[in-house]
Amino acid sequence: MNTHEDGLLIGSLRTWLLIGLPTIFLLVFFVSPTLYLFSASVMISDSVPLEQPSLENYELLLSRPLYRWIILRSFGVGLAVGALVVLLSYPVAYFLVRTTSRWKGLLIAITLSPLLASVIVRTYGWYVILNHEGALNGLLMWLQLVEQPLRLLPSTAAIIVGLSHALLPYGVLSIMSSLNGMNPALERAAMSLGATRTNTFLKVTLPLTLPGVMGGFILAFSLAISAYATPAILGGPATETMATTIRSFMVALLDWGLGSAMGVILLASSLTLLLLGTLLGGRKASAA
Amino acid sequence: MHSRSTPPTSALGGALPRRSLLLGTAAAGLGLAAPPLVAQTPETLIVNAYGGEFQPIFEETVLRPFAQKFGVQVTYDSAGTASEDYARIRASRGAPGFDVAAELTPPEILLGARERLLEPLTEATVPNLRHLWARSRDMIPPVGIVHSYQYTALIWNTQKIARPDTWRDYWEPGKRYGETIRQHVINYNPGNLLSIYALIMAAKLGGGGVDNMEPAWALLRAQKPYVGTVVTTSAQAAPYFENGQVWLSPYWSARAVYYRDEGYPIDLMVPSDGTIGLANCAAIPVGSRNKRLALEFLNFRLDRDVQRAFNLGYKTSPARPDIDWPDDFKAAQITTEAQMAALDFPDNAVLAAKRREWTMRWQEIMAA
Repeated sequence: MNTHEDGLLIGSLRTWLLIGLPTIFLLVFFVSPTLYLFSASVMISDSVPLEQPSLENYELLLSRPLYRWIILRSFGVGLAVGALVVLLSYPVAYFLVRTTSRWKGLLIAITLSPLLASVIVRTYGWYVILNHEGALNGLLMWLQLVEQPLRLLPSTAAIIVGLSHALLPYGVLSIMSSLNGMNPALERAAMSLGATRTNTFLKVTLPLTLPGVMGGFILAFSLAISAYATPAILGGPATETMATTIRSFMVALLDWGLGSAMGVILLASSLTLLLLGTLLGGRKASAA
Repeated sequence: MHSRSTPPTSALGGALPRRSLLLGTAAAGLGLAAPPLVAQTPETLIVNAYGGEFQPIFEETVLRPFAQKFGVQVTYDSAGTASEDYARIRASRGAPGFDVAAELTPPEILLGARERLLEPLTEATVPNLRHLWARSRDMIPPVGIVHSYQYTALIWNTQKIARPDTWRDYWEPGKRYGETIRQHVINYNPGNLLSIYALIMAAKLGGGGVDNMEPAWALLRAQKPYVGTVVTTSAQAAPYFENGQVWLSPYWSARAVYYRDEGYPIDLMVPSDGTIGLANCAAIPVGSRNKRLALEFLNFRLDRDVQRAFNLGYKTSPARPDIDWPDDFKAAQITTEAQMAALDFPDNAVLAAKRREWTMRWQEIMAA
């Protein structure tokens, strides 16, 4: 009896330890900095500590069209990157899961290899390709398709391309895991009952892999909306995102109140959207 | 041939069990790999300053002579620009992990005094302060030193365009150089003082100044179609001068001379309508772990011989007037009280008060 109770106690302790350690880690390294961020956003104005909380940083950010555009642009970039990553990842993931090639392992490794290179290096690769005197303009001029180099940088489109390339492996991994968990017999059953390949894909494969698609989208969206390096390198003053603006407020202007307020807006709005996405994804998956 | 069961022999001749050997080797490895428990001895000074082309000159003319004179170890921390360094000081509440912030600008010193994050300095703690230019002592609060000066020069690509004459050539490049210069002008984010100083000069062109920046905004709008590159730090701009993508830019005089002498296709000039000086400052964060040595360092930084060696090396103007200079140096730098008096230094308190508003205005125009 005692041994049984001891066992239960040890099991319970182990459970608490397993939950407690990550909880403490999150409290220390996520919750407390987030609380500090929020307090700085209402307690500091123009680098001066306030005696009473004030929403003037939020008012300033939301009253100026420039910053409203920056917030909207960041969401636009996040949504576009999420959609592009899912669209590009799906066929790649499908091929990698279904192929019987003996090079399958190598192909998966090649697909995921961008994760091994620093995002800075990858983004500068795009810079070399897209800049005014870059490889793409050189090619277009050589082919006599354009008379003057195109202005491809800085641009929001370049940021979307750079981020989509950087985040593609996350989409592939997420969709691959869904495809791997799907029973291929369901597709064969659909086709044996007369469904075309397209119909089978649209009515069987896609709905069953929707959680993976949503997972890939949410991963790409959340990483894109908070990305700094790629928008900083491929963007400019007319294509600022929330992350580059936060950096500009915090480090260049040393205005932590304004930077924190923008940080809170980024965090709150992306969490809300993620929550909506997760709920929607979960409902669609259970309906399927 | 050794048998697999033969235990290795220790240096003392005794048999050493394999497990002990492995544990010992692992412990020794960890000991070598892990940082020492006391990472900073009392006689180590950590100095934060710029990297890049600045670092070897600073090491040779200031850091090594200091280490030799005081028999101490100096560790170089080359991370960050002046505002990034101050952000580290603020984030750590005055204990950023370095003892001396060797390259700050007046706005950070002003902020440091207001936020009480920089150590107060007096002539008792930094005796060489008494030798500085009179203006150096009034320019910043007594929590930092001005160790050298630069000025805002205009630089141009000597292979692409003719020498500019005035600030108007930079702000209205189309009028002077026509459409060929479109996309070849650079503009700086106001996070960099270079941008602020160039904007002040633009305001002056239209009869304004720090109290009326409207002429500057009008000129910024006029210049925008010609701007091909926007960066924040002056170091970020350098590759564009080298590859010929940027033909016209305001730039700090010291770096401009350095890159010109390195063979970049550029030269520098002082516009006929005048320019603004930059005071390069240094300070000690209040949480410095070795304040005694940090104070010695600031004093050493202002020493006559050290001043001479560094300023000759980095092509900046000195912090004090009582030094003999070669003629070619005197021709390009500020070395007399009269030259110092003629140089324009904007009121740093006004700058600090208006910088946020100006930055937002700049962002709105550049984003439109």
